[in-house]
Amino acid sequence: MSEPRIPTELVAPIFNPATFSNPDRVHDIFRTLRRDYPLAVAEVPGYDPHWIVTRYADLREITRQDNLFHGGDRSKTLISQAGEALVKQFTGGQSNIFRSLVQLDPPEHGAYRSVLAPSFMPDKMLAFKDNIRTVARDYVERLAAFGGSCDFATDIAFRYPAQIILDLVGVPRADHEKMLDLTHWLFSYADPDLKRPGSNPADPEEITKTWNIVFNEFKEYYEPIIAARRANPTSDIASLVANGKVFGHEMEERAMISYFVIISTAGHDTTSATTASGMWVLAENPDLLARLKAEPALIPGFVEETIRWASPVQQFVRSAVEDYELRGQTIRKGDLVYLSYTSANRDEEVFENPYVFDPTRSPNRHIGFGYGAHICLGQHLARLEMKTLWEELIPRLAAVEMAGPRKHTESEFVSGPKSVPIRFRLQ
Amino acid sequence: MAEYKRYRCTTCGTEYDEAKGWPEEGIPPGTRFADLPDDWICPVCGTDKRFYEEIVD
Repeated sequence: MSEPRIPTELVAPIFNPATFSNPDRVHDIFRTLRRDYPLAVAEVPGYDPHWIVTRYADLREITRQDNLFHGGDRSKTLISQAGEALVKQFTGGQSNIFRSLVQLDPPEHGAYRSVLAPSFMPDKMLAFKDNIRTVARDYVERLAAFGGSCDFATDIAFRYPAQIILDLVGVPRADHEKMLDLTHWLFSYADPDLKRPGSNPADPEEITKTWNIVFNEFKEYYEPIIAARRANPTSDIASLVANGKVFGHEMEERAMISYFVIISTAGHDTTSATTASGMWVLAENPDLLARLKAEPALIPGFVEETIRWASPVQQFVRSAVEDYELRGQTIRKGDLVYLSYTSANRDEEVFENPYVFDPTRSPNRHIGFGYGAHICLGQHLARLEMKTLWEELIPRLAAVEMAGPRKHTESEFVSGPKSVPIRFRLQ
Repeated sequence: MAEYKRYRCTTCGTEYDEAKGWPEEGIPPGTRFADLPDDWICPVCGTDKRFYEEIVD
């Protein structure tokens, strides 16, 4: 390859989960990459070479062409060579443990997405509004019950969106804690506080081992639910998925289980991270809290900016179906492209003062929910959940400040605040 | 004059309202969906114009 290379010592840290415990360092790396190596190749020992895509425009150009950049031919997320080999061993030759909407390519992707897409369109959110407000008020009361200090991430933000989506799926409340644990194992396989007990982050195959365990845990959990909903369909999401047809047939088994995995994990984890980020921003910016209290109409803009600000999904990886010219470079057929959502959402070519939190940013065309046909199916639900919680909480939140250092998840895939200790006063 | 119509992106749910246009995208109010360029894409998710559907209330 004669393509520009990124010095290994500069780029290798973004392949290491531990780096993401320090978001400032991550932003420093990507700021340098955008400036000096906006589209260049990373060769990190133990990994296949990856084009690192740092610019917003490039990321959008790639992700709106699912026919040219596949997500399912190779691992959809960053993985070591050893980890990818083990995936093939576990799956009988496939490149991903999961075959969810995230990994599927056209035409399968559209067929699977259409099973749930109509239920998550904006007009369908009206049916959820009252219930979400009830849950939001309950969580404000839970916050009040902490009596002035808590860890907003673990006590509130981890749980509120999980309760909403898992209720919609039809998961009994008694099982929500199990779903939270599996979610953390999946997205935080290397984090010392959230990882699967017994996992070994130093093992290059660990992500595959953990994800295979997570898949099997979900399979064991959901198989009886799938059977029950097929026998007696209800109005919940589990019934829609269990009885969903793809090209006129039942879903393929791994894809169906993966459908439940993605709803039960991605359906709340990124919202949790974004909500926790919002409180962290408020706790460090009392003027912002005062402004939102005085101008509640700014809350939707505040939510939108927290999504850009948090960008919990760090990366997805795609492989080129054919040679493709981009930013004066030739991405060859089969090459891997690492798409940095964190970087794109701080791209100076698109966002004025990208490192300033601005609830009045307009337009705020972040790609925190992705772009193209794979854009987050639950984006409207996530927005509604966050808007409703802040509408309920901000008028009562007289004061808030950090009560200790925040901590971020050690994950090169999905990373956000895992601890936001606060002192607060509610009215 | 025919009533203005609304169209929805089948991928992300974004609505295009002919009455409002999309001024921040340079599309003045009153612009018919049919008059948008063929290579127009959803400003939010990048989906092709052909995957927008008319909203029938």
